[in-house]
Amino acid sequence: MMIPTGEATIGPFFPPRYVDEGANDLTVFEGRKARGDVIEIHGRVVQEDGAPLDNLIVEIWQADAQGVFRHPADPRHAQADPGFFGWGRAATDKEGRYSFRTIRPGAPAGRQPHVNFMVMFSGLLRILKTTMFFEEGMDPVLLAVPASRRSLLIAKSNYEFNIRLRGESETPFFDD
Amino acid sequence: MKTLIQPRDERTQPARIVPGYPQTPLRNPREPLVQRAPTLSELTGPLEVAGRVKLLGGDIAGHGATQAIGQLMHLRVRVLDEDGAPVGGTVVEIWQANAAGRYIHPNDDDHAPPDPNFYGAARLVTDASGAFELRTVKPGAYPVPTRDGWWRPPHIHFSIFGKVWLSRLVTQMYFPGEPLNGQDRILNAVPDAAARERLVARYVPPVAEPHNALVFEHQIVLRGRAATSVQP
Repeated sequence: MMIPTGEATIGPFFPPRYVDEGANDLTVFEGRKARGDVIEIHGRVVQEDGAPLDNLIVEIWQADAQGVFRHPADPRHAQADPGFFGWGRAATDKEGRYSFRTIRPGAPAGRQPHVNFMVMFSGLLRILKTTMFFEEGMDPVLLAVPASRRSLLIAKSNYEFNIRLRGESETPFFDD
Repeated sequence: MKTLIQPRDERTQPARIVPGYPQTPLRNPREPLVQRAPTLSELTGPLEVAGRVKLLGGDIAGHGATQAIGQLMHLRVRVLDEDGAPVGGTVVEIWQANAAGRYIHPNDDDHAPPDPNFYGAARLVTDASGAFELRTVKPGAYPVPTRDGWWRPPHIHFSIFGKVWLSRLVTQMYFPGEPLNGQDRILNAVPDAAARERLVARYVPPVAEPHNALVFEHQIVLRGRAATSVQP
């Protein structure tokens, strides 16, 4: 058994080319339009004192409109939407804002609809992972979060999902 | 087949809050991280990312009249998973400072000059044996804006996707024999000495070819891989 390499992220020197034009639009892949309802997920990322974080990298990973992941580990992956890749990347602006244009995911087997998030930034030696939900419910990942903090993982109307790395109303992150 | 994901050994991973690195106490969660049993959502992840990002290749040193200033080097890397199996076909993103220790980035200050022939970003795909080669110039050390004597030793950044969401790795590679390695606050945030050693590349004694470049080798181990097939 080999031991995984230690993590280390630092910036803010991610080259500007790290985020390709259109990397935050998941609604088109290889010239095909994704099936399903187009939504925008957006929000601000702030640190403990509320200061917005500029040029922070946000990535998402999600199932398609039918709840299928474009990956062979999904038993239904042969039915995955060929117009939907499922992954995107955005960088925050000076106000800490990011946005994605994507498809409202369907429910994968045993889960409620959700979108996986990852952030990397200077001052974070390890990437942070969280998951956004569309509503409360009996999802096993949501239920793993202490009840008092679950509402922090539910998107607000029109899919506003703010991320606070530390402090009051700190976003729950997962030990992945 | 089972999906193989081991829990992390904390001693092999950096501390989240690092003394002398003033941003770390503002940005790392105060609450304990939530434990979750992985589901299909975390045991899948983006594959064939080369279809979604622009590849930049692995030759970033330039040639002839536009070759970057600095010590030309070839870096040979293999990407493996926890079982030692090669991770082929995965996208690797690389960024580094130039030979003077300067990044092409609006936030970097004027402590050293940019090199018009060096941008410092590569993006490529590993071959079937999990290998890739980077042709670059050796990055310089640079002073951290804390201005208290902390310099980053020469290092190269890597972001690697792997096969599943849980195998995503962002890390740095260091160079052997660098005196600044011993006092770097990021390298030394990893508690385990052997784990730190694994972040340092191996110097390959020069042979006839390449005649104009130093050669370094490095190995990067991602977490476990996705099953090739899952029984429903």
